[in-house]
Amino acid sequence: MPIVEAVLLFSLVAVLWRLLRGPTQWDRLLAYNSASNRVVVLLAITAVGAGRSVLLDVAVVYVALSFLGIIILARVMERGGGNR
Amino acid sequence: MTTLILSGLGAAFVLIGTLGILRFRDVYSRLQASGVSDNVGTALIMIGLIVWGGWERHDATLLFLLFLLLLTNPIATHSIAKSAFTRGHKGEGQ
Repeated sequence: MPIVEAVLLFSLVAVLWRLLRGPTQWDRLLAYNSASNRVVVLLAITAVGAGRSVLLDVAVVYVALSFLGIIILARVMERGGGNR
Repeated sequence: MTTLILSGLGAAFVLIGTLGILRFRDVYSRLQASGVSDNVGTALIMIGLIVWGGWERHDATLLFLLFLLLLTNPIATHSIAKSAFTRGHKGEGQ
């Protein structure tokens, strides 16, 4: 299991590079979506591996909040918000 | 053994999706790479976590988390693509 965690951490850093660098605002939104997915999977792996079931509830709340933020930001950009 | 195979396959899918996000030239191509392979990789790692160590009490929460991820991720991808398309963002070669 540590190799899966290492791969997830590496891809999290790579996706965060796209979030910093992305040419358009939708690239940043997409990178935020992927980064939150990886964070949720890392939380689930930590919860099962270390035997802390509280982190699973944290992961559920994280999924709901990131989904809400992405939908709201995409809707705002669809109606003319943002700069490009 | 089963969880190792499933998680390794899921990690490979996540790595392929990261490569697509980093190397593609277009918002829509990146959305396609991220939306397909991230979903499959996340679901495979989650199933590998569920079958790890038999049936326990937190497996129901893991199943609910898997259901939530599979429900919300395509909606978010579709919403980002619709937002970029409605604003008139041109892709590569359009």
